[in-house]
Amino acid sequence: MGQFLQFALNGLMSGAIYALIAVGLVSVFKATRVVNFAHGYLIMFGAYFYFTFAVLVPQAAWAPEWLQSWRPDWMVEMRADLPMFSPLAAVLDWMANLPRILLGLAGALICNALLGMLIERTLMRPLMGQSVFAMIMLTVGLISILSGTAQLIWTSDAAFVPALAPNTPIRFEMFGATIFLFGADLANMLIALAIFAGIVAMVRYTRSGVAIRATAEDQSTAYSMGISVPRVFSRAWVLASTTGAVAGAILATRNGVSPALGLFGFSVLAIVLMGGLDSYLGVFIAAMAVGVLEALTQWQLGGEWAGIVPYVAVLIVILIRPHGLLGSKEIERI
Amino acid sequence: MITGNLKASYAADERVLDNRWKQGFVLACAAGIAALAGFGNDYVILIACQMGIMLIAVTGVNVVIGYTGLMSLGHAAFVAIGAYAVVIFHNAAAGTIPAPLLTLLALPFAVTVAALIGIVVGLPSLRVKGLYLAVATLSANFIVIFLIEQDAFARWTGGMNGINTPTANLLGWDLDSRREQFLLIAALGFVSLLAAQNLFRTRVGRAFIAIRDRDYSAEILGISLYRYKLMSFAISAAYCGLAGALYAYFYARILPEQFGLDLSLMLVAAIIVGGMGRTMGAVFGVIVIVMVPEVIKVIFGGIAGGGAELAQIRAPVQSIAFGALIVLFLLFEPFGLTQIADRALRALNRWPFARG
Amino acid sequence: MLSVRDLYLSFGGIKALQGVSFDAAPGQITAIIGPNGAGKTSLFNAVSGFYRPERGQVIFDGEDIGALRPDRRAALGIARTFQNIALFRGMSVLDNIKLGAHTRLDAGVFDALLYFGRARAEELALRREIEERVIDFLELDLIRKAPVSALPYGLQKRVELGRALAMRPRLLLLDEPVAGMNREETADMARFILDVQEEFDTTILLVEHDMHLVMDICAHVVVLNFGQQIAAGPPEAVRRDAGVIEAYLGAAA
Repeated sequence: MGQFLQFALNGLMSGAIYALIAVGLVSVFKATRVVNFAHGYLIMFGAYFYFTFAVLVPQAAWAPEWLQSWRPDWMVEMRADLPMFSPLAAVLDWMANLPRILLGLAGALICNALLGMLIERTLMRPLMGQSVFAMIMLTVGLISILSGTAQLIWTSDAAFVPALAPNTPIRFEMFGATIFLFGADLANMLIALAIFAGIVAMVRYTRSGVAIRATAEDQSTAYSMGISVPRVFSRAWVLASTTGAVAGAILATRNGVSPALGLFGFSVLAIVLMGGLDSYLGVFIAAMAVGVLEALTQWQLGGEWAGIVPYVAVLIVILIRPHGLLGSKEIERI
Repeated sequence: MITGNLKASYAADERVLDNRWKQGFVLACAAGIAALAGFGNDYVILIACQMGIMLIAVTGVNVVIGYTGLMSLGHAAFVAIGAYAVVIFHNAAAGTIPAPLLTLLALPFAVTVAALIGIVVGLPSLRVKGLYLAVATLSANFIVIFLIEQDAFARWTGGMNGINTPTANLLGWDLDSRREQFLLIAALGFVSLLAAQNLFRTRVGRAFIAIRDRDYSAEILGISLYRYKLMSFAISAAYCGLAGALYAYFYARILPEQFGLDLSLMLVAAIIVGGMGRTMGAVFGVIVIVMVPEVIKVIFGGIAGGGAELAQIRAPVQSIAFGALIVLFLLFEPFGLTQIADRALRALNRWPFARG
Repeated sequence: MLSVRDLYLSFGGIKALQGVSFDAAPGQITAIIGPNGAGKTSLFNAVSGFYRPERGQVIFDGEDIGALRPDRRAALGIARTFQNIALFRGMSVLDNIKLGAHTRLDAGVFDALLYFGRARAEELALRREIEERVIDFLELDLIRKAPVSALPYGLQKRVELGRALAMRPRLLLLDEPVAGMNREETADMARFILDVQEEFDTTILLVEHDMHLVMDICAHVVVLNFGQQIAAGPPEAVRRDAGVIEAYLGAAA
């Protein structure tokens, strides 16, 4: 039971990150009817940008010293008296890294937003109104371009990047079992959930959210009602690439930075279809379910089996409910 | 007025090569292949063999994507199944079946197994299409490769480390040189193309195209969507299985990772570049997709004589070029190279009376 | 030939058909008329198998075909054209028409891959038949190799009729065959429909808004309004029916 809870909780934490990645896919789909097969590679770019601004830039000769490691006198004093594994020490270590973490996040957000806009403007917009097949295949071509470009720019191997939150171990009791977590993982989950909730609220309650929903409903009608459809498109792409940047930064701290991060996109694609392409709630449920299932599979069958859980799950769901758990079914008129 | 294309019988009008330009083109290709087998050097033969194997697989992908309009991003799985089926068949039957007959039996075995699994993988196509099908087939690809890698099956597949492959033997003739293998690949490649071309001038092929263009309208004409969608998947998987079988005979060793998503995308890219739903599309597409990395290799070799640093950036450049090919064709010539060839052929046909 | 018995069909709260019953006599042209949204196309979809009615029977040749999929119904000899043309846009006129003959051919996959032999003989016989019975008949000989997407609307409608004829249908459903056509094209189409009835001895069921066409060529008229059948009979009787005038033709007639 204790182990079950432990693994289920781990699953929920990775599920939240899946949800964060999925929110970008769903938003782009809602606005543009395109499913971005290269979304995972946008996330990989987010991870590399975070790595660049949080590790490479502070290491540069011209960077000020406090950027690399911010240690004012009071912090050194406090740190000196603390034992090795005290939570406060972890917090202080994190604060020392805070300048470069913030720089990394800001850099990743800005650069990824620009990348998203660039892709939308140069590649997706010329194909507006073309067949779904062409749009999807264009994003498939993008996979090779993005992964090749990343390998050209960042030749160095995977390196350690600072975690987004103090990485203190947390231990607590739950239903009589001892659960063990890392603070950074918990913080990652909270960040992911907060962003997810924020975007859902934005799409539901703000003007630009209404514009996205209207465009999703009927592009030409939205156009004629005075909604600038191209602007909706580019906003959706920026939304996807910035949430992708955060997800990339989180994945970089969990899994290290490597071109293999792009593969997360495919698992999340499976999750998104499972949940129902246009339903945030369905996708959220699917992301959490897959996260937990993966963790439990890892527990029972071993790590390598966890990798195919999303693919098996999506096949089963598609065969039973073709439009996902909560996706809306398009009615075909003859 | 277009001259020279007048026919006196329906049979003449139903021919595939209905004018002398097309006939001449095919004859020239046949002569070129024969010359290659005789005089090509080892490198040229190697490239030609790769093209031949790819051509068969891409023709299969064309059946399901180009003609039936069902998206698939998982056809590398069928290539894998064909390749592993040959290896497993050889290893299992080595003692019981005489060696000269092994290859003749292994090829149909591989094709049949691939076709059967094609039907299974095609099952989601009965419920979903487009994007959903793309993800379903992609998932199937991941799962097939995952199963091949498992230790539980390593006794037959070699697991992650791959497995050595047998040499083809046709009735006692050991195909142990590239040149001999090229003959087999070229012959089977030609037969595959011809069969695909035949398919699409009969009721079966027309039914596929009807499903692609308008599925409800196809059903109203008496075309069973269930039967024909699965049939399309089976045929295309069979083609890929044949390609996989030849792949196994051609290379000394096969690894599961060779049949991953990259290969699936390559097969689809070839058909986009060449032209979907056209027999010659597969031919043109394969030539480009195989040649582009080779050309980049030659250019890089020319710049620095193959310095270590340049070699490191060669792979990413090849990958970018590959992606750029897909993107550029989708943006500027969505019907692929066959469209360009059609324009050229029309101009030739009218020459010297009109241009364009 | 075709009997529809007490058909009920609804989508959510919308009652598309509420107890429609009629017979289409063999070799005759029967028209289904009614204002927009009266359920005419729904009725067609129920007959050809796209929609499953909740209640009622569709009897073709004395056999209840209510449980059959559309392709099985086609194999029995029910052909159809669509209100919004549903040709295969990637194919030539000839191939579109050949597709109509799908259920009458029997080459399998292996015949097809081989071509020479059975499939070739079948294809050549089909080509001859289509040229002589459909293309000549509908005067499509100049455009047989043209891609259908390049043809004007009226011709596309004619190709769709040709595709249905290639099936050698025993029952032909025509969904608004002259919608959007000018007077001349309408006259041509009317002539073709009458010729089909005469030469091929086909039972025809048609949905049409053009009252002149309906009154001129149909032997029997069924009137629907809001999914209900409000009248049925020969054109003259329907024209004078008070309920029809009230509901459909309005005060102006």
